[in-house]
Amino acid sequence: MEKKFILNGTDIVVKDFKQSAQSLTFNYEGKTYCFDLVTKEDHVVILDDGQKFKATVGSANKDGESIVMVKGREAKISYAGQRIKKHKTHAGGLTSPMPGKIFKILKELGSEVKKGEPILILEAMKMEHSICSDKDGKVKKISYKVGELVQSGVTLAEVE
Amino acid sequence: MKIKKILVANRGEIALRVLKTAKEMGIKVVTVYAEDDKALPHALFADESYSLGLGALSETYLNKNKLIEIAKKSQVDAIHPGYGFLSENADFARLVESSGFIFIGPTAESIVLMGDKIGSKNALEKIKIPMIPGYHGDDQSVENLAKKSKEIGFPVLIKASAGGGGKGMRIVHKEAELTEAIRGAKSEALKAFSNDKVLIEKYVVNPRHIEVQLMSDTHGNHLHFFERECSIQRRYQKIVEETPAPQMSQELRLKICETAVQISSGINYRGAGTIEFILAPDGHYYFLEMNTRLQVEHPVTEMVTGYDLVKFQILVAQGDKLSVKQSEIMQKGQAIECRIYAEDPDNDFMPSIGKIEKIGVPTLRDVRLDCGFLDGTEVGVNYDPMLAKLIVWGENREVAISKSIQSLDEVLFLGVKTNRDYLKRILGHKKFIAGQTHTHFIPDNKEDLAPKELAPAEIAAMIAGLCFNEQKPQSFQDKPGSVTNPWLELVGFRNV
Repeated sequence: MEKKFILNGTDIVVKDFKQSAQSLTFNYEGKTYCFDLVTKEDHVVILDDGQKFKATVGSANKDGESIVMVKGREAKISYAGQRIKKHKTHAGGLTSPMPGKIFKILKELGSEVKKGEPILILEAMKMEHSICSDKDGKVKKISYKVGELVQSGVTLAEVE
Repeated sequence: MKIKKILVANRGEIALRVLKTAKEMGIKVVTVYAEDDKALPHALFADESYSLGLGALSETYLNKNKLIEIAKKSQVDAIHPGYGFLSENADFARLVESSGFIFIGPTAESIVLMGDKIGSKNALEKIKIPMIPGYHGDDQSVENLAKKSKEIGFPVLIKASAGGGGKGMRIVHKEAELTEAIRGAKSEALKAFSNDKVLIEKYVVNPRHIEVQLMSDTHGNHLHFFERECSIQRRYQKIVEETPAPQMSQELRLKICETAVQISSGINYRGAGTIEFILAPDGHYYFLEMNTRLQVEHPVTEMVTGYDLVKFQILVAQGDKLSVKQSEIMQKGQAIECRIYAEDPDNDFMPSIGKIEKIGVPTLRDVRLDCGFLDGTEVGVNYDPMLAKLIVWGENREVAISKSIQSLDEVLFLGVKTNRDYLKRILGHKKFIAGQTHTHFIPDNKEDLAPKELAPAEIAAMIAGLCFNEQKPQSFQDKPGSVTNPWLELVGFRNV
């Protein structure tokens, strides 16, 4: 059986996927991997592939993605079928990279901006982050006022 | 007077750090918490803990009057300010003392003197402490600052006079960038410190950041606990610190430490303090600033000297004499601290937030994780994104680096993006291993420090982790969190 996963945004296809309660085998990039489940508790899964190791798996987020940590490396992983589509980014929209507060608006509506020029400043975690234009153009929209709190991923301004 | 009860006016790991030593000394501890911190360990594990309410920092951890009120109500003898927040606020130190409590820190006069970068440089020039060329004057007009910058020669550094933590700091390479940099620095300075005064300095290329830990009592004893190397910085904030400083002759080490003691004795300092120096590649060093408090990175000094710096702070605050002599303080082995931040180093160090599902525990010997969070607690936007400090001791630097890399794997913070893997890349970098550190290490080695691609075997192991984690026992899957009582079922069976 073929099975698809998405790891850090990249599709991963494995072949000959077989899973039972205690063991798992599949072929990935021409190599066959066999894992035995040794024990499982809370977020921690102890696996044996000839050399015991610990995998730590977080709860899935609303997009069906879990953080998995193995041997010090971390990745976001999900089953390809389960993953709900990502928030779409608006064309020309500059989104908030993180929750924060609008600290300063540097450009007026309709003013000319160059690519890379800061339009507004977001304050979060005691730091200032400049939100810069992604192209040359005019400021079409500024969605918030100074002092307003914004969530991560919302459109802060639009340039066209 | 013997201190029997302390109020810790801080949060997170540093509040817990003070709590630990106080418990060892048989001293009771009162902590405070903002409402959004009420599930954090500093709010849970003290002898008494009081809410500061909810709101801006000025209403909570920076609310001097509320803190004094709590100190009175809980009848403490002394107040420990930790680091950050009110630790270098002279008004608070004065208010604490005028309200009848001991301030576990320096005098308000020392805070004022050393807190003003311009004033401190003027004072220290008088006692012949080496200073970096610069302009520290009162004429803050853009024209004058530009003129002085040209006299000093580019590159120059502009920074907030009252600053710290990299706020209000700008490096200017050429004249054209100057006006915007001055405006930016002044704006940040005004916001962070309510004071937009800036100073200009010659910018040393490839400098190292070396600092010296000091401790002074009120009986004229001024000791140093050797140096720390803190050159590995991002956004002008330290992320890896160690002691002893690698690639430093014993002669230079002692000279820098003695210069630091000249300062603490010269200003008749009290308590714990740190002198930060810039060390140029040619071996010249210059006074940078004094931090009149306990430093975030103090644990590395504790690991190699074997002394508890918080204990000394408390003892000298109650008027005791320092019981150790300078000649008894030695450096043994190597200690490295890694600051674990909730941030994405591969995306411009963007802070991240979220719920910590699980915190990993280090298992190697002589490893300390100073952490202010618990499983299930939240990292919010309102505070500094530092999650924990991993401090590792090894008999030599090679061992300390290797143990640090292994421990970074263990201390996961499941649920939030952290810089752990990035810290491992720094510690494993050949230049770091060779001790070739300077404050531009991170930008200069940006390509080497980029994330490595996951190996197929790692990807396979992650898939296995996901697949087994998805399998949940049937009963729990049906009714999450419910536990069936077999006796009730038996009763039901009989009634059928």
